[in-house]
Amino acid sequence: MIYLDSGATSFPKPPGVVRAMETALRTCANPGRGGYPAAEAASRTVYRCREQAGKLFQCRPEQVILTGSCTHGLNIAIRTLVKPGARVAVSGFEHNAVTRPLHALDARLVVCGRRLFDQEDTLSDFRRALRSGVDAAVFTHVSNAFGFILPAQEMAALCRSYGVPFIVDAAQSAGVLPVELAGWGADFIAMPGHKGLLGPQGTGLLLCAGEAQPLLYGGTGSQSLMQTMPEELPERLEPGTVNVPGAAGLLAGMQAVERLGMEAIAAREAALAKKCAAGLKEMGMEVFSGENQGGTVSFRAGCGCEEAAQMLSDRGFALRAGLHCAPLAHESAGTVDTGTVRVSFGWHSTAGELDAFLRAARSLPPAV
Amino acid sequence: MMTDYITFRSVTVAQRGEKILNAAGIRCAVRRTPRWMEEQGCGYCIRLAGSEVPDALALLRRNQLSWRKVYYQGEDGVLEERRV
Repeated sequence: MIYLDSGATSFPKPPGVVRAMETALRTCANPGRGGYPAAEAASRTVYRCREQAGKLFQCRPEQVILTGSCTHGLNIAIRTLVKPGARVAVSGFEHNAVTRPLHALDARLVVCGRRLFDQEDTLSDFRRALRSGVDAAVFTHVSNAFGFILPAQEMAALCRSYGVPFIVDAAQSAGVLPVELAGWGADFIAMPGHKGLLGPQGTGLLLCAGEAQPLLYGGTGSQSLMQTMPEELPERLEPGTVNVPGAAGLLAGMQAVERLGMEAIAAREAALAKKCAAGLKEMGMEVFSGENQGGTVSFRAGCGCEEAAQMLSDRGFALRAGLHCAPLAHESAGTVDTGTVRVSFGWHSTAGELDAFLRAARSLPPAV
Repeated sequence: MMTDYITFRSVTVAQRGEKILNAAGIRCAVRRTPRWMEEQGCGYCIRLAGSEVPDALALLRRNQLSWRKVYYQGEDGVLEERRV
């Protein structure tokens, strides 16, 4: 199999991730629940994971919340910042992980920037929305469906200047592009542990600048006589037993990112995406590409996107077709009725794999 | 001898404190807080030598780490809360 679905999860994982998880399963008990060596080993592992994340994303270890997914973190963040019926600015490229929690709160969405790969359009629309008055902003850093890199740093600066609290969805950017809690002044940044950070599925991180409301309630191994959740982070947001093997794997994944170098990973993925887009265009596919694009390319062939993906899957290529849980993004791109085929490159992708993919894609009917 | 205690409510905060103090050459270790020291139930503490406590507290303060209480061992071996 040639894996071209890194937007869904990183695969394969670096070998160190597998080893770290195995070690954790063999040596770690429950962190923060006992004073014996196996509990202390678990506690140290979890702490090192927070510390490594703090180093990558400019925050303190206690501001790093271990979650089950980026979606989990976004739900905590949105439930904290957004009151029912609030007016919320979002980009035109949000995932359902953002829009569904907002919908559940009856939030009134102000959708900003519908033009793919046009950062100026995003910024001017976003500025207009903030000026008109919004209660909060939630925006993705990189579109999962199209690889469009939004001007997150500038959007953050606008939020700060208008005094609007905001959440960044770094699902596709963490581990690939610079993401900074302190530097951006974000209230929350949510990210998966298993995509760009190369950790195992079922892990995620929520970076919290300050106060946050729990989504779940339960035991934390601290202040047990209180029947309210502790005020202190990260315990306030982490009831129940922490996923220790997951934290061990995520730590190893983040260490691998550090070794490989984020800039090198980003440059490699973007170069492959650019070459992929050019190759697909040349064979008559409808390709969604432009400036400010990361390691993801969406395209349409002269057949349905599910059929195209199936044909490629039958030839050994793993990629994803459809709406990618991002109907808003597809609405913005004009592809909501058909969906697209998404090719997304990862830390392990090679030029040889891309060449093989392009050869296989020649068997698809052209779109034009 | 690590005779004194600085208590915390969060194990993560205690762990960060331990790292900062160790990096500054102050020997210390995170332990679970003796039950009687924490009126809200389970907690965590850093154990260290009494002579290191003033420097340790100054370092914690400088790194924006908030502790709960400080306990020291008197000459009679009894632990008492130290007002700081």
